[in-house]
Amino acid sequence: MMSELDEALREQLLHAWRQNAGRQVPSFDQSWQAAAKRHAAGRRNYRRFAAVAAITAAIVITMNVQLPAEDPFIEVADLLETTYWVAPSDVLLPHREFDIYQDMPVIFESTKPAGGTLL
Amino acid sequence: MRDNDALDNNPHVSRSALEAIHSQVFGWALSRCDFDHATAEDLMQQAYVELLSGNARFNNESSLKTFVFSVVQNLARSRFRRISSRLRLIRQYRPDRVTEPVEPVADDGVWHAVRALPARQRDIIELVFCRELTIEQASAVMGVSIGTGRVHYERAKKALRSRLQHYAEEK
Repeated sequence: MMSELDEALREQLLHAWRQNAGRQVPSFDQSWQAAAKRHAAGRRNYRRFAAVAAITAAIVITMNVQLPAEDPFIEVADLLETTYWVAPSDVLLPHREFDIYQDMPVIFESTKPAGGTLL
Repeated sequence: MRDNDALDNNPHVSRSALEAIHSQVFGWALSRCDFDHATAEDLMQQAYVELLSGNARFNNESSLKTFVFSVVQNLARSRFRRISSRLRLIRQYRPDRVTEPVEPVADDGVWHAVRALPARQRDIIELVFCRELTIEQASAVMGVSIGTGRVHYERAKKALRSRLQHYAEEK
């Protein structure tokens, strides 16, 4: 319940509102029809988007099905290529890029016992 | 119970109920967009679209008026958040392109006094005095607690009275 003072203030405000801003209210029917049009347009756009998305998905799936399956075997040469590695410090070596597996220096030639122990 | 003209996606909202509060909704939309009629109409239509599509679903937890006002408020907030960020950019790079909003013709002190209030106080005084909502409903529309709403309401009335008194003395 408003006090008399509040009621007077309210009356003043309402009067001011009508004077300044509340004069031209658009008709409800007009606004409603415009809103309904926008709503229908929004639904149409949504349907179009959904249709385009469905077609795109169908195309992608069909293309994937038709593509030949990838070869499951791996070439040894390709595999070796992927594991090939050169140490950055190799440039400092006198003979660059030697194969440590083939050029292994022979340190112990013999396994024959000499004097009770292995040479 | 479902009205004959209830909306498909919003069974608790009927066209006739919306028609009954149409002018109030427009008034609220108008004050949300600095009294620009075209923008207010657009905002109101967008609120109706939200109701038609069911994006804003009314479930009878409050009055329809409170609900629709909240929808308008939220739409205005999100719209003007976008606009204000764009405006900030324009102000930064092309200050000559920015035009200040046009104020409505203030032909009396009351209107001027209301416009001079801080935003929250102006909103609650408009909702309670001009849109005939209770403080509780107005607080719900504004998204604040009832306590905060009451504080804004009392401060707004106090500020308005003092401004009006000052205006009357000047006259």
